[in-house]
Amino acid sequence: MRFPVPQHTVSRRQLLSGTLGALGVSACGQPLLAEELTQRRKKLLFLFQSGGASQYETWDPKPGTHTGGPFQSIPTSVPGVHISELLPHSAEILDQLTVIRSINSGINDHFFGHYAIQAGHNLPGHPVLGSVVAQQLEQSQDILPGYISLRRDGPKAYTDVGDAGFLGAKYEGLRVINAEPPEYLVRPESVSGLLMQSRDQIRRRNDERFLQGRRPGPIHAYRDTFDKAFALMTQRDLFNLEQESARDRERYGEHDFGRHCLLARRLLEAGVSCVKVTHHDWDAHQENFHWHEVRCGEFDRTFATLVRDFSERGLLEDTLIVAIGEMGRTPRINQQGGRDHWGKAWSMAMAGCGIRPCIHGSTNEDGTEVADGEVNHGDLFHTFLTALGIDANENYQLSGQTSPIGDPACTAIAEVLA
Amino acid sequence: MGFILAACALTAGSAPPGGQDTATPSLHLLIDTHIEAAWPEHLLTATASSDAEFLRRVSLDLIGIVPTAAEARRFLESEEPDKRRHLIDALLARPEHAWHLARVLDDMLTERRVNTIKSYDVPRDRWLEYLRRAVDANRPWDQLVGDILASDGSDEMTGPAAKFYLSRDVKPALLTRDIGRIFLGIDLQCAQCHDDPRFPDYRQADYQGLFAFVHRMSHFHDGDRKANLIAEKAEGDVTFTSVFTGDIDTTDPRLPGGLAIPDPQLKEEERYQVKPESKVQSIPTWSRRLLLSRELPQRETVGFSQNIVNRLWATMLGRGLVAPVDLHHAANPPSHPDLLQALAHHFENTNYNIRDFLRELTLSKTYQRSSRLPAGPRPTAARFAVAPLRPLSAAQLGWSVLQVTERIATNFQTDAPQSPPDDSWRLDIYEPFEPDVQLVVSAFQGLSGQADGPFAPTAGQALFFLNAPRLNQLFSREWSPLVARLVGTADSTKVASELYLAVLTRPPSAHEVVEVCSLLDDVSELSQRSERVRNLVLGLLMSAEFRFNH
Repeated sequence: MRFPVPQHTVSRRQLLSGTLGALGVSACGQPLLAEELTQRRKKLLFLFQSGGASQYETWDPKPGTHTGGPFQSIPTSVPGVHISELLPHSAEILDQLTVIRSINSGINDHFFGHYAIQAGHNLPGHPVLGSVVAQQLEQSQDILPGYISLRRDGPKAYTDVGDAGFLGAKYEGLRVINAEPPEYLVRPESVSGLLMQSRDQIRRRNDERFLQGRRPGPIHAYRDTFDKAFALMTQRDLFNLEQESARDRERYGEHDFGRHCLLARRLLEAGVSCVKVTHHDWDAHQENFHWHEVRCGEFDRTFATLVRDFSERGLLEDTLIVAIGEMGRTPRINQQGGRDHWGKAWSMAMAGCGIRPCIHGSTNEDGTEVADGEVNHGDLFHTFLTALGIDANENYQLSGQTSPIGDPACTAIAEVLA
Repeated sequence: MGFILAACALTAGSAPPGGQDTATPSLHLLIDTHIEAAWPEHLLTATASSDAEFLRRVSLDLIGIVPTAAEARRFLESEEPDKRRHLIDALLARPEHAWHLARVLDDMLTERRVNTIKSYDVPRDRWLEYLRRAVDANRPWDQLVGDILASDGSDEMTGPAAKFYLSRDVKPALLTRDIGRIFLGIDLQCAQCHDDPRFPDYRQADYQGLFAFVHRMSHFHDGDRKANLIAEKAEGDVTFTSVFTGDIDTTDPRLPGGLAIPDPQLKEEERYQVKPESKVQSIPTWSRRLLLSRELPQRETVGFSQNIVNRLWATMLGRGLVAPVDLHHAANPPSHPDLLQALAHHFENTNYNIRDFLRELTLSKTYQRSSRLPAGPRPTAARFAVAPLRPLSAAQLGWSVLQVTERIATNFQTDAPQSPPDDSWRLDIYEPFEPDVQLVVSAFQGLSGQADGPFAPTAGQALFFLNAPRLNQLFSREWSPLVARLVGTADSTKVASELYLAVLTRPPSAHEVVEVCSLLDDVSELSQRSERVRNLVLGLLMSAEFRFNH
């Protein structure tokens, strides 16, 4: 069920030296060697186009048809394949991408779509991708949370719909808003390192005594969260983008999406299993074309930079990058020049983790229906997990209940799994 | 074994000593008989909780907050022979009991859900106040469930009860699943599309029969009155196709294991009290929602009584007789089937009296066990031989942290009316602490729409305890009467005993006294001493002993 990974262990001594670092007692904390911890672990970078991007203005243009809108299509690095002119940078790296042009999810609703696309199930209560990946790829020595979700402040509520479901709070995405470090990562000013160390010692001594003659399971689970908390405190620079080069900050883009993608890279390199970056405001019911020019302008350059950069750093081999929204947009252009919600025939793109670059599936001439290679969100979910080395046909075993990881009625898309 | 069993049965069958006015044996004796009868011999040495352990546990369970140091001292020093029973009765009579149980029921009934659009829901404080009043009046469970299922949000008294529907967006599929889970102890989710291949008890027809009660309902937002109401239609039938067999079937409303109830024949023009139109809450003449509210809360309904006694048992004993509590079926039988049945019968025969049931549970030896493991092989949790380590709920934790500051208790002493007719005035005292409690609650809250699963602490919660600036302020000498009191106590031995009593509801061991002395004896400067005292309090607050109800 799990991708085999070499086991590393962090000794209690190492952990404690981290602890002391966080307490400000030793001169410097022993930073855990990210490379050592995360070797070969598969990872997911999930770029969520919240609101629903138009397939016409991105991966599946239909210029010259009554549904196609004003934009042209442009050739790409794959001979014979065209995408929207709004994605010139992505066109250059299309040979590294897997584009699915034949999604029929049948969902036209933000809330439900946001949940179902990420959970791979229509029934409520299932964990979303990030939580599944965090739980399935977890290793005993992990310090960082398995799933971190990055977004800007003040979006509509549906960007956070659904999370760990029945997997519970441990696998809930740690939310990082506006690239600010999570709350409570820094000691209160009035508490010195020595004082904190002594406070923590009082806790640990009492725990040792309380443990005597009692069931150790929950006591240990609770104690471990403090070890992790101290380790996180030593790694708070993870959230400091100032430590990235000016060049990287520029090429990733000086906007929320660019900054969050760069932060995602830092987090994935440090050993987080899944990072989700939300790119907001794709819900173009009015002025769809102007709006997509603006949105694609941000998305395209950052996305292409990201794929190239991950490829150059050797990260792409083990990292699956997925770009998808909760639905596509209607073929019909409404009176305000907008496109509305549409789940019947739409597109997404992904790269990395051994997925075979190709164009999968197609829609009919004016894009109103899937013509070939139809898949739904459950199939995509199976595909993502398979690429990550997780068997989506397995069951979770949780407190007496069994529950299928992927929807049993769905299957991975064999064609894109190399 | 045989002898012991017989002895127990004898006790259970005869009138309890002390001559209560009922001929039936007390439920708590019956509980102990059933639990101990199933034990292997070595467990018969399982020990009872100490008074301190019991006091903390029963306070958390009945009033949702740890006792104050003064309350602890009074109880521990009391030599009254029947002091545990008196404590239980006193706690059940306190206004905090209804307030706490309202939160327990809220967790059980809404599982922290809110409507996808917040303003389409009943505000949580109104809903909690509704539940609090119901508990305070000891509204029988069958009637409370009837009120909840009947409410369309319009009635002054029962309006907030519509939260059960509204917090689930009045979505029929979700309501069907949760009515099954929460009121009947069965999760029909997989039977939605087909007979569940894993659990033969759960039939697609059962799901669809339950679905037929609720599928005509929808949410209606009355913009003018700013009210959220349940609208209902008079037509619409449930037809379903098995995904396995392809058979097509149709069903009238039917409870699992019960009979289908067809709609009465009504002429077209008689079908509505208020016809469906735009901006109108449609009200049918024959309401399937009201039918559900009458039919479900009955002793004849399979699972109705067993579900609630099992849920209350799980709340108090850390694990249901059926576990998980919403998965009762043939392949997942109760650990003690006869006991579960006896509890359900008792509950029915006492007119679904929740307070009485909690009283009997807490009186049992089973509830009053120590959390220390007995000698010999470690027993499984389903033996109920050892008190479980249950994490405090977010609200229990928040209120208990505030209790430890001693600021709440100080207000009691100064603000208590001279001769209150009842002591409900106490609840007003808690009000100012709500924002601080919410801070803790938001860090420790479980997931929305999920039953409380196994203990799953997070690093974020530990970071809260370690670094939240407000928590540090709450235990400053200026804010916390406890810290001020301890800083002002010169004798470090006395500091140790007051400290442990206030934070952990127990006296310190000799070793712990020495530790406290060694930390305090070399400092005399006030601010330094304050820091050390605060450190001691916060160090113990972060410990597992405080985190768990043990």
